[in-house]
This record gives sequence, structure tokens and C-alpha cells, in this order.
Amino acid sequence: MRPPEVRYARSGDWRIAYQVVGQGSFDLVFVDGFISNLEVQWEDPGFNHLANRLSAFSRLILFDKRGTGLSDRGDPTELPGLQTHMDDLCAVLDATGSGKAVLFGCAEGAAISLLFAANYPDRVRALVLYGGFANSMEYLAQTEFMATIEKSWGNGFSLQYFSPGRFNDPRFREWWGRFERLSASPRAAMALALMSTAIDVSSALPHVVASTLILHRTNDVSVPQEAGHDLAQRIPGARFLALPGRDHQVWTGDTDEVADAVEEFLTGARPVRHHHQLLATLLVARIVQHATQKAIGGNGDLLQLIHNITERIAGRYGGHVSEGVEPEILAHFDGPSRAVRCAVELVREACELGIKCSCGLHIGEVEVHRTSFAGDALRVAREIAAKAKPGEILASSIVTDLSPGAGLHFVERERLGERSEPPLRLFAVVPEHLEPQLKLENPAIEVLTTRERQVLTLVSEGLSNPAIATELHLSNHTVKRHVANILLKLDLPSRAAAAALAAKQQQA
Amino acid sequence: MPTTTVERVNGAAIKQAIENRDGRRLASFYADDAHLKVIDRNNPPSRPREVHGKAAIATFWDDICSRAMTHKVETSIAEGDRLAFSQACTYPDGARVFCLAVLDLENGKIANQTVVQAWDE
Repeated sequence: MRPPEVRYARSGDWRIAYQVVGQGSFDLVFVDGFISNLEVQWEDPGFNHLANRLSAFSRLILFDKRGTGLSDRGDPTELPGLQTHMDDLCAVLDATGSGKAVLFGCAEGAAISLLFAANYPDRVRALVLYGGFANSMEYLAQTEFMATIEKSWGNGFSLQYFSPGRFNDPRFREWWGRFERLSASPRAAMALALMSTAIDVSSALPHVVASTLILHRTNDVSVPQEAGHDLAQRIPGARFLALPGRDHQVWTGDTDEVADAVEEFLTGARPVRHHHQLLATLLVARIVQHATQKAIGGNGDLLQLIHNITERIAGRYGGHVSEGVEPEILAHFDGPSRAVRCAVELVREACELGIKCSCGLHIGEVEVHRTSFAGDALRVAREIAAKAKPGEILASSIVTDLSPGAGLHFVERERLGERSEPPLRLFAVVPEHLEPQLKLENPAIEVLTTRERQVLTLVSEGLSNPAIATELHLSNHTVKRHVANILLKLDLPSRAAAAALAAKQQQA
Repeated sequence: MPTTTVERVNGAAIKQAIENRDGRRLASFYADDAHLKVIDRNNPPSRPREVHGKAAIATFWDDICSRAMTHKVETSIAEGDRLAFSQACTYPDGARVFCLAVLDLENGKIANQTVVQAWDE
């Protein structure tokens, strides 16, 4: 996704960079920990995914703390205290017109959020704290971390304290180095790390009235899970939820786990994950007529019958049939020729039962939910199916373009959406011209040379390679090569399969 | 317990409540089992965000009305038990939102509402 527009809120003489994304009815402010950069972090798919998930149900507000990212940097030796960060948060809320927001605070950001919630209860709708702690002296071991910053800031080595599982991924570490360099100068990074060693918001905890969810990854590499438990025990009514993983950075690791927990806590609804997208060949089959020649559309029993038949046939072609009550049968396949062959068999079997089906085939991206799928490509496939005559299989030009050499024959028919630019060309499948699908399982022995055929005959008689070599006055090595070539040409897995094929062909 | 005044919903009442960011009054316009459907960039027509029931709708309006922004209900059309209006909103930093809403009324209360919105982003 394209990064949202960066705006600046005025906090005293300082400008705090922020972004707003999403159109939800409530505001969710992401209060990040150590460093951030509103421009660079959108390059990371994990950040993108988490931001997209959160902004699907809220108006997500992101900002860079002063001294980091796109906000004013100032003198790195003058450490901004938590009070200053609270003022900056206030300025961002004012600029975005947020009267009451959910604060999603991570690590040091959790401390800022806690303090804010205790001081401005009217402006906090709820709190979500991730990887947080009340007292850094108790839970944060910063000595090594600070030594790493001192020694190698800008090379991505701080990644080991945020996402250890990705530390050995050179590309990601390189990117993390860029993220470090563009998020804070070396001295500012040191100052931030130093600041976080002196955080203690314990006294604010009993004053938090907002409903609070504490999230903590069980093996958080930088802040132990006990810190989260401690928060949950001391904040009135707080709920604790452990998430699997070692990542301290909230937007690395399993970000869906994080988003699911936050969405359920804030909306009360268990989220359905929508975003598994797949490029697939789609088959839409409609029942248009049965034996009595009466249009039937949504006859439940008949639909179930065709559904079962489709499931059986599609299963053989590696397809998946959508569950649920639909006026038509929907299936998706890995490749176009499999989908076409399934459609041909389906139409034929249905016809034998006196049912006329029409099918539409198209290729495009679909969003796969557990047992169903949706998307614009499916709409197109439905329109194509609606254009097909009873017993006809219509495919879009994308299907035909991607299946040359598959032994499929098509004739061009009308176009879909004549008024749209460009219209989609449609082709009818000609089933009678379909070449035998199991061609490779019954390969023609004619492709073999005379010598290879001789070798094959002897193989089928059960002779070993040395025996064949003696019989044909060849070297053992040559026979071996002939056998290998035979298997390759006939696309057979083993010598035994070759013997079986030769025996079968002799019988025929 | 506060008693709710029974107010028949009409374009003028909606305009006044929205423009005054009066979430409580807005919530009182809805039937107990009302359905509110929101369609926007993140909630496309095949998966709109749905808010069911008066309590959830009250929270929805409470959240929106807590924002320090201006709302202007511009066009309002009524036909029998159906009502439609357009709404232009502006955040303090200048970001604008435009919404169209279509409502079904039952016994003077909103039973169904569909909102389509577009945002500056």
C-alpha cells in the first residue's frame, strides 16, 4: 500500500509527524517504542499488514516521537521525558480531531500510553499494551543493547533485540539498518535507549480506568513475559493475553495474531481473516435446465447433487469447491486446463442425469476464506457463466491464452462487457476435440527408436541390464542409457512401469 | 433511569443531531434491533462493516461524535418510510469525508441504514 500522507502536529515549537489511515468509527493511536519512521516502515510487509488489519476497523493514527523518524529531531543529548511525549501525543490527538482514542502502546510506548491514560482518562477509550513494562529497572537489560548501538548503529545489528528469528536474513537485516539510519541518528538512538532505562510508571497503574488489554509474546527477546503479567495484575480489570513468539517488535512475527486479539478486544467480534489471496482459475457452474426443460435456478436438492458431483470431479483435478448455499457451484483450480477438463466432465455427467449445466471459466485473484472465496474475478466468472448456453462451457481469453499445448480447443464467441474497455473475449470449449487427458499415462511406443524398442521388449521379459547387454551385444553402460532414455521419453517412473506398458501394448 | 423521549425521525432532526455531534440523540433515533451497514475503502460491498442493535449503534455514534470535527448535512430526501441524506465532514487538519446514507424507517425509528463514505487519505 502507498504510505498515507504525512502531516505535522504542532507541539510547542516542535512538529510531530503523523499519518492517518482507515475510516473506522473510533480512533486507534499507535504509540511505538524505541524508533519509528513513518516513511520507511511502510516498506516492510509485516508493518503494512498489521497497519492494514488495524485500519480496517479503526481510524489508525501513527506518529513518530520527537527526535525520531520524520518528526523534529532537536538536540540528541536533551532527552525528552515521558511528560514531553505525552504532550506530543496530545498534540497529535488535537490535530486529528480525536476526542477519545484507543491507545496501542508498544514497549516504551506502553509506558507513555499508561501515563497518558492515567492523566487524561477522558481522552482514552481503551488501552492495548504490547511488550510493555511498568519499571525498566526490573525488566529491561539495556547494557548489551546500548553497546550494540554504540558499536554498530546503522548496520541493522539492533534487530537481534527486536526480531531475533530474522537476524540471519541478510536482506531483512540490511533493510533494518536502513530503518535504523533513517529513524534516529546514532546519538539520538543512544539517548532513547538511555531514556528507556529510567522508566517507572508504577504509580500510574492504579489510576488507569480505561479497559485494558495486555499482549505479550511468550518468549519476547527483550522484555520478559512477567513484565506483562505484572502490568495486568496492577491495572484494574486488565486482561492478559499471551501470544506465541520471540519477537519484541510488534510488526514482525505473526502480526495476524496481534491484529486478531486487538480487533476482538475493541469490536467484540472475532475477526474473520479475509486476506488470503490466491491467483486461481475459477469455475462457475449453473444449473439451467433439467429433463422437464423447466428453468429451475435454485432447486436445493438438485444443486446439492451437482455440488457433490463437482466435488468428486474437482477433487481429481486438485480443485476446491466452495461450501455454502449459493445459486451456483463455485470451484477454484491451480491451472486452467484442469478447470476446463473438470467443467467438461461435469457438463457430461450432469447431462447423463438429464440436467443441463452451463459453465463459466476465468482467471484472477480471489480472496480465500476457509471454505469459500470471493473477489472481483469471481464476479466476472459468474457473468461468463450467465452468458453460456445450456451445456456450454465459456472461458475468458485469459484462460485460453494460458492453456496452449494443453490439448484444448476453443471457438471464439461473443464478448463480455462490450461497453467496457477493453471488452473481455470469450471462447467456448469444444469438448469433442479434447485430446485424451491420460495421454501421458498411455504414451506411444512409436516415439522410441528401434533399438530402444528392442531394449524395452527385453525389459518387459524381465531381463536385467547385463542380460540385455549380452543379448544385444551392447555394453552394460549403453543399455543403462537406453533404459534411462526410454523412461524419459515415455515419462515413466520406473523400469517396472516400462515393462508393464510394453506388456500392455503387446496385448493390444 | 432516564426516559427517552419518543421523537419521530426526520431529515431535520437528523441534520440537527449530526451537526451538533449529539451522539445520544442520534442513538435514540434507532429501533432496538436496527442494522447499520458501512461501506468504504476497507469495507467493500461484499464485506461491509455491520453494526447490529441499538447499543452498538450508540457506541458507534458516540465514537464519531467524540471527534472534534465539523459535520454538515447537505441534502436530505424523504419518501414514505425511506430517507436519504448526504453529509460533508472536515477534520481539524483539513482532511475531509463525504458520506451518503440511505435509511428505512419502521414506526418512526431507523430500522436499517446504509452509509457509503469516502475519505481524504
